[in-house]
Amino acid sequence: MPRSPGSERGVPRIRRRTALLGGAAAVSAATLATGCSRTGAEAASSVPEGAATGTPADGGVLRIARPPASQAETLDPADSLSAYEYLGALYNRLVRMDENGETVPDLATDWESDDEGTKWTFRLREGVDFHDGTRFTSADAAYTLRRILDPDLASPQATVLTPLLSPEGVHTPEPGVLRVELDTPNFEFPALLTNYHCYVVPEGSGGSIGESGIGTGPFRLENFSPGGRGRVVADEGHWEGRPVLDAIEMFAMTDIQARTNALLAGQVDLLSQTNLDFATARVVAASDNATIARSVNAQWYVLPMLTTAEPFTDARVRRAMKTAYDPVHLLDVALQGTGVVGEDNPVPPETPYWTDHSLERDPERARALLSEAGHEGLQVDLYTSTYDPVFTPMALAYRDSVAEAGIDVRVRNASADSYYTQIWMQRPLMATYWYTGRPADQLLNQIFRSGSSYNETAWSDPDFDDLLDSARSTADGDRRRRLYQDAQRLVVEEAGAMTPMFADRLVGLSREVLNYHESGFEFDYLNIGLRP
Amino acid sequence: MSEPNHGTPSTPSRTAAHTVSRTVRTLRRSRTACVGLGLVALHLAVAVLAPLLTSASPTANVPDEALLGPSGDHWLGTDALGRDVLTRVVYGGQYALTVSFAATTCAIALGTVLGCATALKGGRLDGLLMRVLDAVLAIPPILALLVVVTVLGAGPAVIVLAVTLVYTPQVVRVVRAAALGVAPLDYVTAARARGERTLSILLREVLPNIVHVVAVEFAMRASWVVLLISSLSFLGFGADPPTPDWGLMISENRTAMVVLPWATLAPIIALATLVVGLNLSADGLSRAWSVDRTEEAS
Amino acid sequence: MLLYTCRRLLSAVLTVVLSAVLVFAAVQLLPGDVATQVLGQDATPEAVAALRDQMDLNRPAAVRFLDWIAGAARGDFGLSPVSGEPVAHTLWPHLRNTVLIAVSTIVVAVTASVVLGVLAGLYRDRWPDALISTLTLIGMSVPEFVMATLLVLLLSITVPVLPAVVLDEATAPVADLLPAVVLPTIALSVVMTAYIVRMTRTSIIDVMAGEFVTTARLKGISTVRLVVRHALPSALLPTLNVIAMNVAWLVGGVAVVENVFNYPGIGQLMLESVHNRDLPVLQAIAVISALVYVLCNLAADLGAMALNPRLRTGGGSKR
Repeated sequence: MPRSPGSERGVPRIRRRTALLGGAAAVSAATLATGCSRTGAEAASSVPEGAATGTPADGGVLRIARPPASQAETLDPADSLSAYEYLGALYNRLVRMDENGETVPDLATDWESDDEGTKWTFRLREGVDFHDGTRFTSADAAYTLRRILDPDLASPQATVLTPLLSPEGVHTPEPGVLRVELDTPNFEFPALLTNYHCYVVPEGSGGSIGESGIGTGPFRLENFSPGGRGRVVADEGHWEGRPVLDAIEMFAMTDIQARTNALLAGQVDLLSQTNLDFATARVVAASDNATIARSVNAQWYVLPMLTTAEPFTDARVRRAMKTAYDPVHLLDVALQGTGVVGEDNPVPPETPYWTDHSLERDPERARALLSEAGHEGLQVDLYTSTYDPVFTPMALAYRDSVAEAGIDVRVRNASADSYYTQIWMQRPLMATYWYTGRPADQLLNQIFRSGSSYNETAWSDPDFDDLLDSARSTADGDRRRRLYQDAQRLVVEEAGAMTPMFADRLVGLSREVLNYHESGFEFDYLNIGLRP
Repeated sequence: MSEPNHGTPSTPSRTAAHTVSRTVRTLRRSRTACVGLGLVALHLAVAVLAPLLTSASPTANVPDEALLGPSGDHWLGTDALGRDVLTRVVYGGQYALTVSFAATTCAIALGTVLGCATALKGGRLDGLLMRVLDAVLAIPPILALLVVVTVLGAGPAVIVLAVTLVYTPQVVRVVRAAALGVAPLDYVTAARARGERTLSILLREVLPNIVHVVAVEFAMRASWVVLLISSLSFLGFGADPPTPDWGLMISENRTAMVVLPWATLAPIIALATLVVGLNLSADGLSRAWSVDRTEEAS
Repeated sequence: MLLYTCRRLLSAVLTVVLSAVLVFAAVQLLPGDVATQVLGQDATPEAVAALRDQMDLNRPAAVRFLDWIAGAARGDFGLSPVSGEPVAHTLWPHLRNTVLIAVSTIVVAVTASVVLGVLAGLYRDRWPDALISTLTLIGMSVPEFVMATLLVLLLSITVPVLPAVVLDEATAPVADLLPAVVLPTIALSVVMTAYIVRMTRTSIIDVMAGEFVTTARLKGISTVRLVVRHALPSALLPTLNVIAMNVAWLVGGVAVVENVFNYPGIGQLMLESVHNRDLPVLQAIAVISALVYVLCNLAADLGAMALNPRLRTGGGSKR
């Protein structure tokens, strides 16, 4: 996502510290800003302030430290406990999302729908083989889709796809053509297939895919142990050409400090799914063997209020919580300005369907709303954890910010290991984040639609659901955008999610790493390499 | 599991006033004890007077002043949220001292009562209690602590409870041995025969004569408790943010140590000096009173 | 002698069984149903019932305890509800790794503390004694996680000679883990040495002040010989107990240090199980630790008896 700060909303709210790395790291900052041997064309296509680019050495082994999901994690892309880092290396989807949020070809070369938006035809790439040598055909694509819809599998993506599609609607007229007949019209359907649960697996592999990891991706699985280490090696016959690296090794480390120490000591080359806090980023950038790459607006932070739990069952309390805080303060304290404010709307600014609707900060109004709801001097527990280093600073800044409205927030620390099982969607108020890189339709349906499994605030509003339904079935692009924007307004005003900010992910990586590129859920496994 | 021999079986007739005056005299003689108690007193004073010593707030986030080095405004610099490190260190003693002392007091009080009681009663009760305490001692303290804290949720009250639970058995053993040393069972039997009640024997004869053992035990145990509680904070089971707490501060700032050494070093020094003070107190007092400390490592 | 050993053995067994009862009872008393705990709030009643069945929660606690203790005696600690695997599968490799640290720590700490203790004792109240006492005091006062953090900073990041964290899994071969053992061992040894040195020093001073030393000196026996042949054995006697106590402390200390180094030992497993509320694993760890503690104390007592004939009661003359 290219950033164009202040283009429309020239308010000084988008404050960004250019001196990200401070004086101590001036040298590394210079390296960051200019890259190393960046050619003109590469510079234009890469994320600003991204990693070093250049011609990498042939081969090499990249070592990645990752947070362990759990002992129960699996290589099955459709599963809710899929091992995220492995998926992009092992598999392909039919379509992927580019940096501008557009849906672009992957295993499908092109696609079209009828005028109603119900019958979709995907033409598939020819000459693609799975790692076990079998040819990829429409049967595999159909199997993948039907499998996601299987209620027994309980795939998170099923809650998005089930309302519009049944297994009987998936057809394979030819080996190279997949036809999907939707139950309800949806002009955003291909975008929904960019999700990371939609990686294509071989037909009939459901029982074994969790361990075998057989896909069409640039790397083959060598070994994998859940919650432990694993290794993937280059697939010589990959359809896009052989990847630059020979192999990637993955190590699971629970403690973020341990991950950072491993990077600083040169034991690993890249920290995945790890947003370093500002202070640590400074330390990393100042070190001899590691540096920082910024993945712009890579995640949005959110304080979800569980709308089924007291006191957030009352819309007035939710509104008060939202109008009481100042997102700029949160952005400054928690991110040192390395991001942009969120205005309680999780659709990233400047993406196609985004609207700039926001609530005015008004502590007095918040106070009035609270006393109206009978919650004057509201006391709430806000749960946080060391799972992500931004959670606690964000919670503390929120606590500061709402004190003016007479809201007493107690920040409670919970263990990182069980944060997403014991706290998330269990406690009335907590701190969490999501990765950007979701199409607006997917995002709104998955996180805010009544009954969706990722609806972390348990919010349910029939008007909102209706807006999404009509947006999906609207052929006219402008009208569709307006409907999605109306839906966002409801999210801002009524829903339980407070979205104070979008953050750049500060990714720690070795100075040896070249062509690291990640945006949203797209990690470029093909071109990443090591310095010659 | 051997029982310590007590070097000072004293005549059970010393008055409280005598004990106090003797204490003052021994303290004047023992430089170690003076330095130790002085350090502890200094920490207590700083913690109590914290609001007078610094005008800054230990919890206010000032993003514009984050990650500063030492300067006139911030003698030890600021942390990642722009909070003054020195202020947080000064206030940090409040949590550590309150929780540690509350926990130690509870463990010592409970341990002394149980230890004296079992020593005086003797017999089956004594045998059974010591057996159970042996079994409790065999369970690693950190495990017991973690389980209690996860189940009941981290909070000062829970930590006090958990620490009491973990350390009481060890206090019981030490106190029981000391009580047996000053009032052997035949002596108690004799007193009973004279018609004295157990409670009065305990209060009049036993307690005054083991006060020194209990005091040494307190200082020594407190040093362990401070360390244990800081470990809990470090592991994320202690104080909730933004409480200024030394263990939490070390944990929060340790990665940035290369860039901002004081944010980590200052709480380390504060923590270490408190523990040194307690250790020296225990050392000095035990030497001055010649209390046997073979059991201390338990 | 034999009788005493038997009595001590019996009492050791009794202690372990008693702590097993305590641990089991404590786990039963924990609020909240284990099955709901594992499955989460939204679990269907059928799923909870099935898991309760599978975990045998429907039978009386006493019966389950007898079953469990019988299994534990055979090394079978049941299934972990979190990973679905036998507890023993995860337990043994982690235990092995911790034993690796523990043994090296004990060797280093005991050697260091005997040397330092003898030095301090011989140079009583002179500068080596003062220096050693000061270092000891610092060692006792700095928490082991601080020591570990400083070591990482110094020997892994500033001068990268040793790994900062362990990348290997619990089941990795010992040879792979060896470089990773060094830093945890140093961190733990510093603290442990500090405690043992004090004891060795006092013992040496006591022994050297004894009458037989004066006699030996008069006979012209050298100090080195005197220390090694006569003073050390008697000085080690009270030290044994301190060492045994420290082994028990290791189990706790190691949890924090393993956390810093990402070391796949029993402490790491303990923290993980606490987070996941994996009670069968916790029970197993508690019982194993109790066993280690009791065995160490037993060994110390028996060792003390072997070193000191006066402690032998009864059959002493038969030898």
